[in-house]
Amino acid sequence: MKFEDSSQNLRGRLWIVQIFVVLLLAVLGVRLYYLQLVRGKHYAEIAQNQRIRLLPITAPRGVIFDREGRPLVDSRPIFNVILSREDLKGRNLFSLVKPLSEALAVDADTLRDRFDQISSQPAFESILVKQDVSPGDIAWVEAHELEFPELRVEQQPQRRYPADGLLAHVLGYVSEIGAEQLKQASYKERGFKPGDVIGQSGLEQTYDEYLRGRDGYRKVVVDSRGRIQDEIETVPAQSGQDLITTIDLDLQIAAEEQLRNSATKRGVIVVMNPNNGEVLALASAPTFDPNLFSGRISTKEGRAEYAALLADPETPLLNRAVQSRYPPGSTWKIPMAIAGLQQGAITLDQSNIVCGGGITVGNKFTRCMGNHGSPDVKTAITHSCDGYFYRLGLKMGLDGIMAMVDEFDLNKRTGIDIPNEVVSWTPSREFKRRMQPRSPEWSDIDTVYSSFGQVYDVITPIALLRSINGIAVGGKLYIPHFVKEFKPVGEPGASDYRPSRGFEPLDAARPNPKIVPIPEDIQHKVVEGMWSVVNAGGTGARIKMAGFDIAGKTGTAQVVGLGKDVGKNKDHSWFVSYAPAYKPEIALVAIIENSGFGGHHAAPAVRQVYDVYYRKTRHEEPPGALPIAKTPKPENNNAPKERPETQIAQNQ
Amino acid sequence: MARIQKRGLRDFDWLLAFLAIGIVAFGTVQIRYAQPTEGYWVKQLIGLGIAIIAMLAVAFTDYRKLINIAPAFYIFGLVLLVIVLIPGIGLKINGQRAWIKVPGIGQFQPSEFVKVTTAMMLARYFGRHRVGTLTIQEIAIGGLILALPIALILLEHDVGSVLTYLPILIIVLFLSAIRIRYVVAAAVLGIVLLPFAYWVGVKTQLVKNYQQERINVILDPEKADRRGFGYNTWQSILTVGEGGLLGADTSSAHSQSSLKFLPEPHTDFIFAVTAGNSGFVGCILVLLAYGILLFRLIAGARRAPDRMGMLVIMAIVGGLTFQIFINIGMELGILPVIGVPLPLMSAGLASLIATFIAIGFAISVQLRRFVN
Repeated sequence: MKFEDSSQNLRGRLWIVQIFVVLLLAVLGVRLYYLQLVRGKHYAEIAQNQRIRLLPITAPRGVIFDREGRPLVDSRPIFNVILSREDLKGRNLFSLVKPLSEALAVDADTLRDRFDQISSQPAFESILVKQDVSPGDIAWVEAHELEFPELRVEQQPQRRYPADGLLAHVLGYVSEIGAEQLKQASYKERGFKPGDVIGQSGLEQTYDEYLRGRDGYRKVVVDSRGRIQDEIETVPAQSGQDLITTIDLDLQIAAEEQLRNSATKRGVIVVMNPNNGEVLALASAPTFDPNLFSGRISTKEGRAEYAALLADPETPLLNRAVQSRYPPGSTWKIPMAIAGLQQGAITLDQSNIVCGGGITVGNKFTRCMGNHGSPDVKTAITHSCDGYFYRLGLKMGLDGIMAMVDEFDLNKRTGIDIPNEVVSWTPSREFKRRMQPRSPEWSDIDTVYSSFGQVYDVITPIALLRSINGIAVGGKLYIPHFVKEFKPVGEPGASDYRPSRGFEPLDAARPNPKIVPIPEDIQHKVVEGMWSVVNAGGTGARIKMAGFDIAGKTGTAQVVGLGKDVGKNKDHSWFVSYAPAYKPEIALVAIIENSGFGGHHAAPAVRQVYDVYYRKTRHEEPPGALPIAKTPKPENNNAPKERPETQIAQNQ
Repeated sequence: MARIQKRGLRDFDWLLAFLAIGIVAFGTVQIRYAQPTEGYWVKQLIGLGIAIIAMLAVAFTDYRKLINIAPAFYIFGLVLLVIVLIPGIGLKINGQRAWIKVPGIGQFQPSEFVKVTTAMMLARYFGRHRVGTLTIQEIAIGGLILALPIALILLEHDVGSVLTYLPILIIVLFLSAIRIRYVVAAAVLGIVLLPFAYWVGVKTQLVKNYQQERINVILDPEKADRRGFGYNTWQSILTVGEGGLLGADTSSAHSQSSLKFLPEPHTDFIFAVTAGNSGFVGCILVLLAYGILLFRLIAGARRAPDRMGMLVIMAIVGGLTFQIFINIGMELGILPVIGVPLPLMSAGLASLIATFIAIGFAISVQLRRFVN
């Protein structure tokens, strides 16, 4: 170096600089090695994840039809306005409350509550701002895209149930899976996640697996603001299987109308085909609007509505046909009569027993509603002679009654394919011990009570109807059910094909039908009695239809004491029946709560449903359609308490 | 004259020039990849044309003449820095008033040019033939030469640019016979004082929260605030990491830069784009290219005919090395985010032209190594 001088060792210093340059570049090289070769896969995965998003495509649930193909429940697309989480990066949620609540007419407090809840959760995808928005709202969101890029409009299928709560207890409803449910193993196994909409009641719950579609998804590429840039893959949603139910909409509407017009507007009507267990109609009143659960429940008003339903003393959410137990009253006498004959307590030749106007057991007199002399079994049924059955019960004994209960499955669930069916209470020593711990021993008076459908007999309407159906068809107890067919979905042979499916008992071990060996002559005898109830001046004579022989039995279920209360604790009115008597097509049970004597309230309600059936199948006006008052008001009824006695006396 | 031209062509450092042009060309490809829908890459090519002409002009001018009038350039540079501060002419981008609006071209950043004029000024002051070590007075004057532009740039809030000025003075002092004991003392003091100063800065809130976050993200990128102030570093690390050995197997439309996860992909984060795009192999080749370029410059400095020439080249080496290290270090998540462009690769006319002028200087020095 020409200008080098001894004092500074310039050459050495240049080397130092050069080494320094190499060192710095080497540091970068080592770091690159670490980032790209050592950790490369890890970072690539993260980078991949932040740009790929799976957007679920919600599959529509299967449509539910009645037996004639009329849609009962379907899904309609609704639009929701949501806030997308990815786009909320660094934005204060609560600053959005005011502009959004004003522009979209959402309650500001509701919105604030929702933001509060959601901000405590680390991983949320989106926040619902407003459900089921109008086209105007959508237009507003689109016009303000620059101002609120985090707002999105999302389409979602929503279940639409019939208005006025029609068939609500059968159809059930869907709603979002609850936090508690998600913790349960049975739901976990099926892979549900928060926000999933599942069947929570009725057929929607029982057959969720079949009605539920298989969600699809869109695999999309998003930019740093979460805006979709590209679509990589689309797996379309597969809709759920359509369900053809056994319901006959005409009968259902008629049944519900009868309950609505009944004295107390509380009760049950179930219509079945006794030959196969198909339920044609099941009405439980009062009813509720299932649309509440699939829609409004997420709003403040919806939650208030739900709370009101839960608090309602008339329990509209309860499906009385399967979840309520009533004393069967005199309807109990039908299986009693069959069993009495079967067990030999009485015989076809010698079935007369003294009525005596009642019976004295120990020092207690239990009266009959009339004095029927010494009727045979047919007459005893026709005129509902309590005295006869007290003594028949004593002849059979508790064990005989228990055998009868067992034979007709009255102490079991019927196996109907809607959830939460309860088991009836039936007479047993154990039951008595539980009910009266202070005098736990079973005595004859208990047998007397058990023999005419009170005190120890507390059964569900569906269990009663099933046993009567079994008798009607000569000993075949079918499982009541609503499924006619699940329609197939997809291409046969494809991996996602879902084949057609009929009704299969939920408990596969259960025989369907259960065979009860009832000798034909015995069956015939009892049916004669039931036939006479309606057609030969019995307790149900008011509803007689010439040429369409209804066989039935009235019943009055004691609430406080039989016939004792005329106020709101009046007896429940029963009528169980089928027709035609010797060639059964259709069976009906009705109970009108707290309305009094069975023949007066339940039987006329049943008759109107029979009329609808008759018109449909016979294509003519039903014979002897009585001008029965649509709304018999209990206040106007002249002494309903005396009614049964008067009538029985008349018919004697 | 003809002889000089002929010799000029023979002695011209072709390798240096082509390395620089090659890096720019490669960078332009990356710019286009980073911002396929924008015209930055076209601008960069135009800039390259201008830069080559500027380089040739400087290379074929006698550097001694240029350095003799360095004070004039230096003062002109200071004037530019003052102009930047005038609202209306000076343009504010990302909170930094560092650009001058030029009708037709767009904007340019004078601090890039002033780096060259400052280096010239330092070389002129320290380039006299000397005996003995530097005096304190000389060090102070050197510091003052640097302090003036730095002060003006600080008024622009362009801390990043200020940092790139420091190594110019450091390397000039180091090569101007500053006593080694000063060097060692400064190094030790720096190592000890830096963490302490940071601690004091945090305690007194002089180091702002976002600045602390930018440092935290380097210490532990996985746990830092990845959505907030750590975002840029984190996204840059992801982009680099995804590159792997030979580049990410993602289509260009779905790359970190196209989807705007990586900010400023054509300027400050161009190396991350390159890393994602061409992988470890491409990155090492780029580092090698820079290494050869710097070595070539240092070799030129060794052969410089006088102290002034040597100092100019080494000041350029110091500036370039430091800037390359800061920029790539930031993109690899070992240094905090500082808005410093990567020489020769980041899109930006001023930086490109200034770097080529500097290289032109180095070539000019070498061309005259046999002339006396």
